[in-house]
Amino acid sequence: MTNTRVLPTPIVRIGALFSVTLIGLLVLPFVAMVVTTPIADLRAGAAHPMFAPALWVSLKTSMTSLSITMVLGTPLAWWLASSRSSAARVIEVLVDLPIVIPPAVVGVALLQTFGRQGLLGPSLESLGVSVPFTGTAVVLAQVIVSSPFFIQACANAFRKVEPDMLLVARTLGASPSVAFTRVAIPIALPGLLVGASLCWARALGEFGATLLFAGNMPGRTQTVPLAIFSALEADVRLAVVFSLVLAAVSTILLVGIRFIPSLRRSPRRPPT
Amino acid sequence: MTPRGRVDLRVRLLALAAWILALGPACSVADRDGDRSPLSVFAPSSMTDVMPELVTQFHRAHPDVAVEVTFAGSQILRLQIEQGAAADVFVSANESHMTALADGGHVARPRRLATTDLVIIVPLDNGAGIEQFEDLTRAERIVSGTEHVPIGAYSDTVLNNASQHLGSEFTVEVRRRIVSEETNVRLIRAKVELGEADAAIVYRPDALASDRVRLIPIPEQYNVRAQFLVSRTARNEHASQAEQFLEFLSSPESAAILRAHGFTGAG
Repeated sequence: MTNTRVLPTPIVRIGALFSVTLIGLLVLPFVAMVVTTPIADLRAGAAHPMFAPALWVSLKTSMTSLSITMVLGTPLAWWLASSRSSAARVIEVLVDLPIVIPPAVVGVALLQTFGRQGLLGPSLESLGVSVPFTGTAVVLAQVIVSSPFFIQACANAFRKVEPDMLLVARTLGASPSVAFTRVAIPIALPGLLVGASLCWARALGEFGATLLFAGNMPGRTQTVPLAIFSALEADVRLAVVFSLVLAAVSTILLVGIRFIPSLRRSPRRPPT
Repeated sequence: MTPRGRVDLRVRLLALAAWILALGPACSVADRDGDRSPLSVFAPSSMTDVMPELVTQFHRAHPDVAVEVTFAGSQILRLQIEQGAAADVFVSANESHMTALADGGHVARPRRLATTDLVIIVPLDNGAGIEQFEDLTRAERIVSGTEHVPIGAYSDTVLNNASQHLGSEFTVEVRRRIVSEETNVRLIRAKVELGEADAAIVYRPDALASDRVRLIPIPEQYNVRAQFLVSRTARNEHASQAEQFLEFLSSPESAAILRAHGFTGAG
């Protein structure tokens, strides 16, 4: 009811109407997808020879890219959160670049970097390493497009850790690493989980950069989004089933993001 | 709270009704605009170079008809037409997609527009040293099409033909080197132009239109002739213009343009 006191009622009503319109637009396509798909189609889709390999490639590559992002991204996020230098602010903007750059551009840029005529391609080739059109290419594309989500959430979470608390831990005899793992990580954990889930969801959905840089090969580089793209050419129903599965996985992720951290915290929260 | 809530609901319903009324006319205006839309031609990727030239030539004879061309793999165009895309003329790079649309009542009876054969392309530096069809096994990475895009299906036929002459191991070896299945022939060609693929099978006109690839012919005994078919769709808005365009496509002028690009004209 606070809103009605701050804003005149007609404005609130128009605002509500706009919101309802947008919510409808956001939700309707997914409702339509669920409602219009018969169970028999679902079963046929899951049994399709394209499905299991694509799901496997998707899970394998997205878990790998998530692990890489967490290992490489956590120290970076900690530095971004604690440093007051202008270099940190510049890096922070750079890290966000993949969010605003279209994935197709990332794909082209990756080819220009690791491709045979790319910047690093020839030297890698001389070492016997060839990245494009491999599972490694899928993972690289996913790391680039998804890591900003992890780093951002992670840095925000670390900002909630008061430097004083770490100092107190140190004065109580904790080593710096113990202070970090026993004090900083638990405080930041809900934020870290949100970051990891967003990052995984983004990696799971990666399409444009993968298509250009890793190609589309069933069983090797064909992830579920690419399988949807290929299935669309053969049988729309198949594409719908693949889409439903991906939407379901992502929804479960989202629900996990929103509720698991609050469940963890709520018993300790003091009454307000 | 309770009386206020009831008023709110009524106001909300009224607002919703007003909103729907406002939106309704907006939609129908957009529909009426359709009358002045250009003649929409859906053409396969392999015609990316020849079709604009055909359209320009057609436009000279029919200045009043605006033509708009959409390029994609034939399977994607077919899907879009099945889903109600506003296409007036459909050109397919093979028979199966055209037949499927005709069976579904989406297109009228198709006629032959052009034919062409398949060739191998390699990057200009030809790092894998491919000089003839039989050298395909020297490639480290080959890029092909999905089974649904016409070029993918034709390539498959070529490889099957080759296995009759060169043995099935040859075909197995070649297939093992395929690293990506693309959805249209221009995406396949791009991978060779970039040097990312050592070789690919494309239509002759695609090879001729690029100065960044080298063409290696495929021997007659393995090769297939790709059939390009054209038809008017069941859409009636531009029926007479679509007929005019089809008529032009079967003219000697059109055949000359097609030939200049490496197609064989209708016949």
